[in-house]
Amino acid sequence: MSKVLEINDLNYKKNNKLILKDINLNLDNGKIIGLLGANGAGKTTLMRLIAGVKAKNSGQISVAGIDNKAARKSCVSMTYSLVSFRKGMGEKNTKVKDVVKFYIDIYPDFSFEKYQAMAQFLEIPCDDKIANLSTGTGEKLVIALTLARQVPLYLLDEPLNGVDIMARKKIIKSIIQWKSDDSTIIISSHYVKEISSLLDDVIILKDQTVYQVSSVEDIQEQNHLGIEEYYEKVYEGGLDDE
Amino acid sequence: MMEYIDNIPIYLQIKDILYRKIISNEYELGSQLPSVRQLAVQFSANSNTVQKSLKEMTEENVILPQRGKGNFVTEDPEIVEMLKEHIVKEMFDATYDKLHSLNMNDSEIVASFNKYINQREGSHE
Repeated sequence: MSKVLEINDLNYKKNNKLILKDINLNLDNGKIIGLLGANGAGKTTLMRLIAGVKAKNSGQISVAGIDNKAARKSCVSMTYSLVSFRKGMGEKNTKVKDVVKFYIDIYPDFSFEKYQAMAQFLEIPCDDKIANLSTGTGEKLVIALTLARQVPLYLLDEPLNGVDIMARKKIIKSIIQWKSDDSTIIISSHYVKEISSLLDDVIILKDQTVYQVSSVEDIQEQNHLGIEEYYEKVYEGGLDDE
Repeated sequence: MMEYIDNIPIYLQIKDILYRKIISNEYELGSQLPSVRQLAVQFSANSNTVQKSLKEMTEENVILPQRGKGNFVTEDPEIVEMLKEHIVKEMFDATYDKLHSLNMNDSEIVASFNKYINQREGSHE
């Protein structure tokens, strides 16, 4: 399998405070990977560094073999909050279809066909104002926009936050339905139990670095634990006792 | 959505569900299974996981992949019969051990099982 993501000795500081240190990661093509870590562990920061919207201090990041920051943007599709769209587009009356048009205009890899199929499945209204969307519908829109780009790597940052259970289930199903076989998805979520059936591997961030990368199956077979339990034990430092 | 047991690999749980559907004839002998993607969506699971379930089912001769067409349930009723015996035995294993741990002997277990069946039949009417 070829590597979709390679990170070597990555460090990131903000206001002289170390946020991420000595990050090393190698991810294979075609998987769905959970990015787990407590609030403030640096999940969003790591995703933004990979996506090339934030500049690293030292180290190397390459996506599908491309390490140039600007060129990397065309290989990665990350979820962006709708709030930033409303601000960026500067209009109170921005509608769903305006944001879709914006995506079509700036991303040559955006598939309108794929977007439409997802929008239909997720029941996203195209004439509604962004400002009037419920949290659930907003997240559905973000997921559809993000996955409609055709790239090797997708970064889904807390796509289930504030979303009710029915919408969470639909979003999970849409990810399974529309993920192409050779693409890779990294997803962060506090709903560890709910996404566990979706995941091949988990990356656990702890103490500003990658504490561990394990396959979900290994955790279940070798540790006889569910992912959530395992993750909690890692944070409590309880795994060494066994 | 599926409710999975947290600490058992999902591919084993999916395999188990598919086997039960084959035994109960929901998936008939010789019939075609849904595609990997359809099963993945149905089970809310990763496609790689579903692939792994299907791979083991193929190795156990319960399903047969046909090039470019998909996966088909075996046409051999004996294989399904064996599968059924295996699953029934697993269920009895667990129950029998629990009853034994209550200090019940075999004849008490049989007697209480017969009583149980009679009560169930009575409640159906």
